[in-house]
Amino acid sequence: MIRPEEIKLSADQSGKWGMVIDQDICTGCQACVAACAMENNISFVGEADSGYGRSMHWIRIERFWEGEYPEIKMTPNQPMLCQQCGSATCEPVCPAFATVHSQAEQLNVQVYNRCVGTRYCANNCPYQVRSFNWRDYKRPEPLPNQFNPDVTVRRRGIMEKCTFCIQRIHKAQDKAKSEAREVLDGEFTTACAQACPADAIVFGRVDDPESLVSQLAHRNHGVKHLEELGTLPNVTYFKGG
Amino acid sequence: MSKQFSRRDFLKLAGVGAATTAILTGCGPASRLVRREPYLQMPEYTYNGLSTYYATTCRECAAGCGLVVRTSQGRAIKAEGNANNPLNLGKTCARGQATLQGLYNPNRVRGAIKHKRGDRLYDTAADPFNDEFPDAASNMDWDAATQVVAESLKNNKPEEIAFLMGMAPDHLFDLATDLANATGITAPVRFGALSMFESRATLNKAAQNLFGQSGLPFFDVGGAQVVFSFGANFLETWLSPVSYTRGFSALREGKTKLRGTFVQFEARMSSTAGKADEWVALRPGTEAMVALAIGRLAAESLGITTPKVFADVDPMDAASKSGIKLETLEHLAQMFANSNGALAIPGGAALGQSNGLAVAEAVLALNALAGNFGKPGGVFFSALAPNQTAYQQPASAQEMADFVQKMIDGKIKVLFVHGVNPVFELPAALNFMGATKSVSQIISFATFPDETAVEADYIFPDHHGLESWGYQRVATGSKESVLSGAQPVVTPFYDTRATADVLIAAAQLAGGKFASALPFKDEVEFLQSKIAPLMSESNGFFEAADINTFAAFFQQYGGWWKTIDGRNVPNGANALNRSISAAESKFAGDGKFFLVPFVSPTLAEAGANKPWLQELPDPTTTVMWNTWVEINPATADEMGLADNDVVQITSDAGVLELPVYRYPAIRPDTIAIPFGQGHTAYGRYAEKRGANPTDLIGQNYNEAGDLAFAGMKVKVEKTGRKQALSRLESLMGVYGVGLGEEH
Amino acid sequence: MIKRIFDWLKQPLGLIAVGIAFLALFSFAAYGISLTQTSPAQPIQFPHKTHVGLGIQCLYCHPGAAKGPSAGIPAQAKCWACHNQIQKTLDSQQPDTQFPLLKPLVASVKSQSRLQWVPVAQVPDFVQFNHRAHIAAGQNCENCHGDMSKQTVAENPQVFNMGFCLNCHKKVAGENHDLLVKLTDCATCHY
Repeated sequence: MIRPEEIKLSADQSGKWGMVIDQDICTGCQACVAACAMENNISFVGEADSGYGRSMHWIRIERFWEGEYPEIKMTPNQPMLCQQCGSATCEPVCPAFATVHSQAEQLNVQVYNRCVGTRYCANNCPYQVRSFNWRDYKRPEPLPNQFNPDVTVRRRGIMEKCTFCIQRIHKAQDKAKSEAREVLDGEFTTACAQACPADAIVFGRVDDPESLVSQLAHRNHGVKHLEELGTLPNVTYFKGG
Repeated sequence: MSKQFSRRDFLKLAGVGAATTAILTGCGPASRLVRREPYLQMPEYTYNGLSTYYATTCRECAAGCGLVVRTSQGRAIKAEGNANNPLNLGKTCARGQATLQGLYNPNRVRGAIKHKRGDRLYDTAADPFNDEFPDAASNMDWDAATQVVAESLKNNKPEEIAFLMGMAPDHLFDLATDLANATGITAPVRFGALSMFESRATLNKAAQNLFGQSGLPFFDVGGAQVVFSFGANFLETWLSPVSYTRGFSALREGKTKLRGTFVQFEARMSSTAGKADEWVALRPGTEAMVALAIGRLAAESLGITTPKVFADVDPMDAASKSGIKLETLEHLAQMFANSNGALAIPGGAALGQSNGLAVAEAVLALNALAGNFGKPGGVFFSALAPNQTAYQQPASAQEMADFVQKMIDGKIKVLFVHGVNPVFELPAALNFMGATKSVSQIISFATFPDETAVEADYIFPDHHGLESWGYQRVATGSKESVLSGAQPVVTPFYDTRATADVLIAAAQLAGGKFASALPFKDEVEFLQSKIAPLMSESNGFFEAADINTFAAFFQQYGGWWKTIDGRNVPNGANALNRSISAAESKFAGDGKFFLVPFVSPTLAEAGANKPWLQELPDPTTTVMWNTWVEINPATADEMGLADNDVVQITSDAGVLELPVYRYPAIRPDTIAIPFGQGHTAYGRYAEKRGANPTDLIGQNYNEAGDLAFAGMKVKVEKTGRKQALSRLESLMGVYGVGLGEEH
Repeated sequence: MIKRIFDWLKQPLGLIAVGIAFLALFSFAAYGISLTQTSPAQPIQFPHKTHVGLGIQCLYCHPGAAKGPSAGIPAQAKCWACHNQIQKTLDSQQPDTQFPLLKPLVASVKSQSRLQWVPVAQVPDFVQFNHRAHIAAGQNCENCHGDMSKQTVAENPQVFNMGFCLNCHKKVAGENHDLLVKLTDCATCHY
């Protein structure tokens, strides 16, 4: 077993895009979950399949109980999404190279046209944030009018997961380039962060020390989940309290 | 083998050929069939592939948050918050996000329909995930529809015509009010299940009693240091959830102060209470007593003479009756007294008791003790919206009961229903359904085929909110006075028509006083006449010299608001010098369990037909697509109930059968049921799913006329059947399931 | 039952039947492939070369290419803005002097109906292509779409597969390592 201190951080593993989630102010209202589904053309699967754990939330709010009545507490809501690991455990197990590390954006990307649906990646993800299209989930007309043209509509047999709204990253980069400038901090954000009424989610460049997200991430009480596995996650949590 | 090579065989073979081609070329011949239609005339500022954004107002609840909707090639593809609107500052809740699933819902009313009461409005045999178009077809044109409305206006006595509308004080309410004022029609009644569960009338009445002025109180959660909430589910659906969530965020973040503390008093831990630092599970019905006891102990802790309002309560007695330890009460009272900015909020199930008014008054009196009126982190009166002179409170349940009685007595001949679904939202005990039989003509303007539309004689569908013009007054939630503006972001998808346009056209057709009451060409002209007076007001977000420019800015920014704090300071001079009864509330029924119905935070009253809202897990139980009953695991063990066991719940008013969710954060003597499901119509995703807890609620009211929805005691019996609930959380490890000790 | 079918297939007539079935399938497949290689029928046999020959810039009719992802098909109002000033078009409004190529345009403008074009240059749904970036990078339209001054109805000079894209991306990046990383990254086109 590799211990965290043994992992060498190379330049391209330090991450580019990152997120900070403040669990103390997350109210668990599900606005991010809905926003993500609306932005990313995620299928709804219906009651039976969601009962089998096949619902396709790219982000979910975890809540746990501590203690027993009357001394019971709900732990701070924990939005869980793809941590865009710098050293992702899902990547090496894909036989089709469908889940690969984007060198340019330092994200963990899912290439839908390469995916053959072995689901090895989902098995190997310690955060359990990948969802699989078990069927061609139908969206009756006219629901498809809502499709975001910037995001591929996935079909049966394909794995999918949070992309950090890469379509928004590309759009912002494209706009910045057309105006001959760099992307500004806070110029755009992910769908979940944009919706969050509590502003519990902050997204931005973690490799830019001036950005809001890096300044927050370096507050001393930030936690990265399952960091001890050496996954180099790019999402920092504040447990709060 | 057949000698004939039939056409069918040929087609089959052709199909095989096409399939082979598809396999060999890796792309189906379908892609060869793509057709692209250019615009006949490209709309201004539009480029192919680039999005256009329109500011409008969210109509999913009555809060009135601003939206900016992204459209592409004439289709709406994403709703975001309007960053300019001071109410929500660019943020949305889950229901606001899912508003597009209403716009593109597969079950909408597609055109004007003459309808036999009770007939279905869409085919239920259809598979909810299927592509069929099973909606009832339109069977009349809009000219005929306008004629019908005109005749019902003209051929009935004005006092026999009634408008029943949604909670939001919007432009249509103004139009109906103008029509009513000029013609003698009964003043339009606004109602919504949310206002019932929020007990708005109680809040308003309590403010009237304490401050001598009616209005909707505003609680500045963000500026407070200690917040005591008695049942107010302000992070879920209460009043204005997006702005209250922002306040909560400010309370916790403490950018300019220490991290604020939050204590919630309620029998069942709601998702709001889940965020509290302390959850105090008091016995239902003892809220007033506990609030007064805290007031008394806090006054003692401060070393001041006990104010009259708290003098009658005995903290020992309150502790024993509420089930809270006296030390806990003392510690809470000290926390409240010694805080530099304490705030107490009454709301939710605490007010839905027979003594709800006393609870509201007692909790507001705590604020008087804290002396926070008009101070940051204190209590205010919400800013009145522009062009509003008084708080327009939606009807209380008692007023709705009176309305139903008028229907039964035959005093209402024509009923226009818009923006509300009373058959579903009003408790069955109020018998709206039965009263419809005494109304000779019911005209529904429903966008969706809801239960009330099924009981209507005509359905003249309004556009979806994203297809319509309008404005909505913001009742509470922002410091500033806000009028959220709405404009169509897409052209109407079906042959629907704006209800304002129908009413204006019908009034013109009816002639006489009707025509002079609404002397407008169309809805837009009416709207301009309503916003024109704002041009001369000061401190506006924008100014314009002429109405066309002003209306254009109104559209562009998504409304008009002031840039100054418009809240009023309550006069709390006498708040502590009255007496409030600390008596426990009375409960109807002789069951063993207190019943706490609560509004589903994700579905609320009208979200059930949006599939993605159905698939959002409930924040506390993570259940999707269904209704459940929450029972404390210890109680469940006593009764031999496992998760998913169906129980029969009996109250004075009705019976329901629901699967059990063993909820660890509820009092053992209390059960809770979410409101939002149990539809018998309302589209394929809503229908025949879960149950409606209002079926269990009897006709009991508090002193303010609000429904005592949390004032029931119910019996719970095991049925022996099971019904699996879909939940996001794993059953693994929950109460031993999956760990070798399965139930 | 199955044995009987096999027995029947093993006799000469059966073998011939199997052969015919294979041939039929093969020819259908060949026909299908050939379908994908021919230009689809368009509502107007639009002469690109005439328009380019008159010196009209590509971006005049397809301005979206410089602005965003989609080049777009011009609105009929745009066609008509020029054509209603051209004598030949005006003549085409009379039945006896009708010019066949302009007939559908005149008809659709008169009836306000939409022409239905069939796109020829397509990428699959899982590719996110952005025209703007390519134009901004100095690529000319003909690099991908061929020389329109020689085409009537637009044809696809090459199959837009990943090899075609990547060859060019690699060439453009050259020795610039950062650019090569960006231009060969999966996430640049697939998301």
